Amino acid sequence: MDRRGFVKLCTGTVLTAALSQSLRAQAEQIEACPSAKLVKADGSPLKASEIGLGEALVFAYPFNGVPCYLINLGNHTAHSQAMDSTDDGVYSNPPGVGKNNNLVAFIAICTHQLSYPTPEIAYLRYAHEGSELAGKPDRIICCAHGSIFDPAEGARVESGVAPAPLLPVALAYDAATDSLSATGIVGKAFIKRFFKNFKGELMERFGPGVYRQNVGETTKAIPLSQYSKDVPAC
Amino acid sequence: MTDNFNRRNFLKLSGAMLAAGTAGCAAGVTGSALAGSQSAAVATGLKAALPKAKGPRLVVVGGGTSGLTIAKYAKKEYPKFDVVLVEKRDMYASCFNSNMWYAGLIDLEFLANHSFMDAAVENGYIYFNATVIGLDRASRTLVTNEGDIGYDFLVVAPGISYDYDKIGVSDVGAQVALRQKYPGGFTSPTEHVTLNRKIREFEGGTFVQTVPNGNYRCLPGPYERACMIASVFKKNKIKGKVLVLDANPEITIKAKGFHAAFDELFKGIVEWKPNSAVTGVDVDKRVIKTEFDSYSFDDAAIYANVRGSTLIEHLGLMDPASGQKEAAIDQIRYSLKGDDHVFVSGDSRPHPYSKSANTSNTEGKYVAKVLAARAQGKEIAWTSPRTVCYSMVNADPMEAISVDAGYVLNKEGTAVGGFSPDTKMFDNRDGAKGKAALEWARGIYRDLFAA
Repeated sequence: MDRRGFVKLCTGTVLTAALSQSLRAQAEQIEACPSAKLVKADGSPLKASEIGLGEALVFAYPFNGVPCYLINLGNHTAHSQAMDSTDDGVYSNPPGVGKNNNLVAFIAICTHQLSYPTPEIAYLRYAHEGSELAGKPDRIICCAHGSIFDPAEGARVESGVAPAPLLPVALAYDAATDSLSATGIVGKAFIKRFFKNFKGELMERFGPGVYRQNVGETTKAIPLSQYSKDVPAC
Repeated sequence: MTDNFNRRNFLKLSGAMLAAGTAGCAAGVTGSALAGSQSAAVATGLKAALPKAKGPRLVVVGGGTSGLTIAKYAKKEYPKFDVVLVEKRDMYASCFNSNMWYAGLIDLEFLANHSFMDAAVENGYIYFNATVIGLDRASRTLVTNEGDIGYDFLVVAPGISYDYDKIGVSDVGAQVALRQKYPGGFTSPTEHVTLNRKIREFEGGTFVQTVPNGNYRCLPGPYERACMIASVFKKNKIKGKVLVLDANPEITIKAKGFHAAFDELFKGIVEWKPNSAVTGVDVDKRVIKTEFDSYSFDDAAIYANVRGSTLIEHLGLMDPASGQKEAAIDQIRYSLKGDDHVFVSGDSRPHPYSKSANTSNTEGKYVAKVLAARAQGKEIAWTSPRTVCYSMVNADPMEAISVDAGYVLNKEGTAVGGFSPDTKMFDNRDGAKGKAALEWARGIYRDLFAA
C-alpha cells in the first residue's frame, strides 16, 4: 500500500492501538479518526450486551453527516478478509468485536448509487429476519437496485449491482465497561463523493458545514426503526 | 412472493424479444450503407469550438442513460481519454419514471432537475450542445450543426425512434398528425408534457393505450401507464376507461402483477385486449383499427413499434437486415462490424435486452471498459448488464412490482441468448417497492449527473 497516497481523513495516526497485535498488519488500511463512544439516545452508555439482534443501530461517524450501522451478528463471528473498494483501494475489514466477536459496523451508504438512511426513510436496511429480496436472513439490503451485502463477511456484495462492499467502521470494545467506541474507517474518498452528491440535502438537515464536522466524543446509536420514520421491507 | 423466472416465461419473453430484436443480426453486412464509410452529410471543414484533444478523443453522441454513463465511466476507466458528449438538448428530462408524474407521485422537477453541465464538470468531460448531421468514418469526423469533431473513438447512443409503418400508418402527413396529437410518450420530454396534460384534463370516455409488439422500450411501461391513468380516473371519479390494445398475446413482462392490478384495483376501469395489434389510425375521426375490430376513442397514447434511432440509419450504422432497424454492431465488442473505432450502445443496440434505463446504465459501464481496453490495444470478457426495474401499479397507496434480470450468451458466445437463470420476478405489489421505485430513479440520476 502506498502510504504517501494515504492522506489522513481525520486526525491521529493509522489505527493500531485499538486492535490486537495479531490483527495489526491486516487492519493497517483502516484510517484512525477521533474515537467516539457509542451512547444511547438519552446519552447514557450503550452496553454491548444490550444490543439486540433484530435491527441495526444507526450512529453518525466520523462526521455528523455519515450514517453507520452497528449490527449484532448473533451466532456469527466476523473475520477479517481482503476487500476492494471503488474509491479507497484495497483494505482488510476489521474483525467483529465484543465478547463473541459478533459486533460489526459499516458506513450505511450503498456503494452502488449512494442510497442511505435518512430520518424520513431508509432504503438500506439490515434484515435479521430475512426479506423478499435477500431470500435469507441476516443481510443488508438496498431496496433501490436490490444489492445484498453480508455483514458477517465484511459486508461483501452477495448479489446485485453494487460494485463494492459497504465500507467498514472499526470498533473498539472495552470489556471492563462493556462499552463500544468507533475508532476509524475506510472510505475517505467515498465520503467525499457522498458529500458532493448530497451537499444540499445535508446542509438542510444539519446546517452549513455541520455535516462534515467530527461527531465529538460520543455518538448516539439509535435503532433504525426509531431513526427513520419509514423502513420499507423490501 | 418471489417467483423465479421459470422456463416457460423465459422462452415466451426471450422468444418475442429475440425475434424482434435480432432478426438478421448474425448475417454479415452486405450491400448496406455500411459499404461506404461516409453518411449523407459530409464534413463541413468548419471545426467545432473545442480545445485540442489532450489524449485519445472519445466522442459520445447522446445524453441519455447510455451516453451519460459511458462519458463518465470511460473517463474513469481510462483517464487519458479526452471525452466530448454531444447532445442536441439543452435541458434534460428522463423518460424513465415519467409515468409516475401523470399520477402526481412526482413532479416534473424530479425528472428534469439534472444538468448536463454538472455531469460534465463533475466527471471531467466536455458537454457540447449540438446536433449531429453526418459522419465521415474515413477521416474519423463527426459532423454537427456546430462544426466538425475529429474522433479516435465514437460512441453513438441516440435511443429509439417510432416505426409508424408497422401500425399501418404510412402516410407522412398521418404520421406527423399521430405523433403530435396522440404521442406514444416513450421518447422526448415534450411528449410527457402533452400526455400529462391529456390525462389531467380527461373528463370521461375511452382513453386508449396501445402496446406494440417486438422489443419496444420499457416493456412494462404501457401497462404501468394504464395503471397510473386508471389511478387518476379512480381518484377523480372520472367516468372513463383505459382501453389497453395489446399487440401481444400476453402481457410482456410482470404479467401476474399487472393482471392482479387490472383485476383487483381497476376492475371496470382498465380493459386489456390481447392480440390487438394496431393496423391503422384515423386521427381526425379518432378511430383505431386492429385486425378484426375498430375502436373509437376520446384520447389516446398510441405507442407505435420501436426501431433503432433514425440517426443510426442516417449515419449509415444500421443493419439493413435488422427487423427493428438497429445497429450493425458486434454484440460482444459493441463496435461496428468493420470499424473498430465506431460503437453503438443503448436502445439502438441489436441485443435482445430489455430497453430499460437500468440496462443502459449497467451496459454503459461495460462499454466504458471495452473502450478503455480498446484504446490500449486490449479486449475484455463480456459481462451481462442487469435489468432491475420497478413498475408502479397503484398510485394511492403507492405500490409497485419489479423484475431483476440478467442475460447469458448463446452457446457460441457470439450473441446474447436469453435471460440468466438468476432472473427473478417480484409480482406481488407492495408499498416497499413503490417507494423503492423512486429511489431507483434518484440513484440513476446520481450516477449520471454527479461524481
